[in-house]
Amino acid sequence: MLALLQRLTSPPAQTLYTLQPTHSTIQYTVSTRPITQTIPAILGYIISVLVRVLLGLVTVLSLWTKWRTTLEQPTAPLLWILGSDREVRLFALAHSCQWRYLAPSAFVVLFLVFRRGYTEESLTLLRGLGIQTSTSSSTYLLGPTTRFIPTTSIQDIFINEAFKGFEIRFYLAIVVEGEEDVVVVFPSLLPRRGTLEVVWRGARRCLWEREGVGRERLQDREKESVDM
Amino acid sequence: MPYNIAMVSDNFYPQPGGVESHMYQLSSKLIDRGHKVIVITHAYAGRTGVRYLTNGLKVYYVPFFVIYRETTFPTVFSFFPVFRNIVIRERIEIVHGHASLSSLCHEAILHARTMGLRTVFTDHSLFGFADAGSILTNKLLKFTLSDVDHVICVSHTCKENTVLRASLDPLMVSVIPNAVVAENFRPLSHDLGGSNMPKPRAASGPPQPMGPDEIITVVVIQRLYYNKGTDLLVAAIPHILAAHPNVRFIIAGNGPKAIDLEQMIERNVLQDRVLMIGPVRHEEVRDVMVRGHIYLCPSLTEAFGTVIVEAASCGLYVVATRVGGIPEVLPPHMTEFAAPEEDELVEATGRAIAKLRAGKVRTELFHNQVKLMYSWTDVAQRTERVYDGISGNISHGEFYQGAGAAGAWSAPRGRAGGQSFALIERLKRYYGCGIWAGKLFCVCVIVDYLLYLVLEVFAPRSRIDICKDWPKKLLKEKNKAIERGFGAGTNGDEVLETRNPRRHKERKEELDDS
Repeated sequence: MLALLQRLTSPPAQTLYTLQPTHSTIQYTVSTRPITQTIPAILGYIISVLVRVLLGLVTVLSLWTKWRTTLEQPTAPLLWILGSDREVRLFALAHSCQWRYLAPSAFVVLFLVFRRGYTEESLTLLRGLGIQTSTSSSTYLLGPTTRFIPTTSIQDIFINEAFKGFEIRFYLAIVVEGEEDVVVVFPSLLPRRGTLEVVWRGARRCLWEREGVGRERLQDREKESVDM
Repeated sequence: MPYNIAMVSDNFYPQPGGVESHMYQLSSKLIDRGHKVIVITHAYAGRTGVRYLTNGLKVYYVPFFVIYRETTFPTVFSFFPVFRNIVIRERIEIVHGHASLSSLCHEAILHARTMGLRTVFTDHSLFGFADAGSILTNKLLKFTLSDVDHVICVSHTCKENTVLRASLDPLMVSVIPNAVVAENFRPLSHDLGGSNMPKPRAASGPPQPMGPDEIITVVVIQRLYYNKGTDLLVAAIPHILAAHPNVRFIIAGNGPKAIDLEQMIERNVLQDRVLMIGPVRHEEVRDVMVRGHIYLCPSLTEAFGTVIVEAASCGLYVVATRVGGIPEVLPPHMTEFAAPEEDELVEATGRAIAKLRAGKVRTELFHNQVKLMYSWTDVAQRTERVYDGISGNISHGEFYQGAGAAGAWSAPRGRAGGQSFALIERLKRYYGCGIWAGKLFCVCVIVDYLLYLVLEVFAPRSRIDICKDWPKKLLKEKNKAIERGFGAGTNGDEVLETRNPRRHKERKEELDDS
């Protein structure tokens, strides 16, 4: 019982992915996306995507039908898709449900369909150029929020602690020249200390160490799972 | 054995004050002795979050509502989640609260006991028993202190006061005085006498009497409040100045009573003989003190009176009221006492002036004497012994000097010195606090315990990152370890006693008490 409660209330597990295509580039990504490796997990993932697509299509279709019927405009594509018999039934259905119920519920369904179920934040380091932080948006409709900081304006990168809610969290911060506030890397996920230390070491190595010193043989795509 | 200690109080830097400097000095000396110390206090304007001070002292400025004069609102339970988080991530073993008016400290002690940690409380002030405010404070004090492992007071008067206010077993109250950093309070002669010059006044030549026309300056440095005896000062100064023509006053500090002083100066036309210089910062106190010959302390209540030790360390002869812990602080040859009355104060100041003029007082020797008497290292050593006692690293008998059977007064004691953590034992102790208060306190403790269980489920320990300790220099640590190992071995007590002659006396007194 207690274990169940704990599992239900715990935040989603975070995984750190390290991507190093060349020696002077590293991308660290922290993600709460569940790892799908077993067959049931992959099946579940595919099914959920299909369900989302279907739900989205149905919602858009019903909204469109309602719109056309309200304005009493021709609905030729429907006739073409469904045939006359089903079209009549759909019209009756569209007639029976009113805008005031349809619109909000369609909105909710669309919101759920486009909602991203996970958060992904990354730090890309390019030696000699700078670093870019990015945070994925909460829906599939928007791209990630990114911020590029050139190497010349980076003063320091460090791990610090701060109060967040009822707890104290570690965070990785970048001091940017000419700015009063530091830039927090992974601002919404705030990974744990172990993860941050890996990223911090990598970032310092990539930014400030000379070519060929302390270079690490990272595999092309190395996965480091960090349990949360 | 090194401990992880959390000092908790509402009062800490950047706000200046006695408790603040006590906590800072004690913490840094404990760190020097190999312990890990953190300070938990509430956020000040422009200072929130986690900070490091010199020597790796980590300070948590917890964001909280401040209601009145830098004291947080006493929300009994809201501090618990944050506190638990800090305690777990810093692996704290001992929680040491300071100052009886700080609600943060009381809450921390309550929560620490719920979490099964050892607790120590240091009282820095004296309180009355009669007025409503005191009664309320005393009840609160009784609440937290019913379940504390050990209490430290800064003077014997303070101990007496605390034991009575919180109905404590006198055995579990130790007296560890404040100290001063003597290097920061050097007399002027130590500055002049550089390396090449022989120190003119520190040399033990014949005493040099002051001429009758030489001007004697009396220094007063205090916050100008009622309890500091400013009214007494206002009444006494005209009489002193009338009786002794070649005397000047320097008064530093501000407060609501400053206006009274100014009125007195104007009424008696003393502008050229009394100099008021307003508030001075703590690091400037010495520069003011060395301008004088006599320090006057007219306080009405004082638990310890660090300022008179500082004055003596600067080579000033001290005139003080005989209140609170003041008589314990300095040996008789450094002080002239007076009852807290106008006439007595005038008389005592007169005696002091006469003695200085006659050259009977060797003020130039005070600095070195004070340096031998008070040091923070010694305070840290003695505090460490208290930690040893409550965590059972030295036996009960040794800790309490064999005085009294274990638990003759408070029965439910668990291991040596420490109180038992069992909830039912704790409830027993709280229940005895009063007819209504006892029940109320019990409810508080039970709610606190339930909150603890809830937190264990919803914010499990596995989800809290452990902090890294401040890196220490290895060589130094090794030396310390050898030193401590030596101290704890064959003749640890001898080492302590040769360093501090006061200690021996105090132990005897503790025996007498029981």
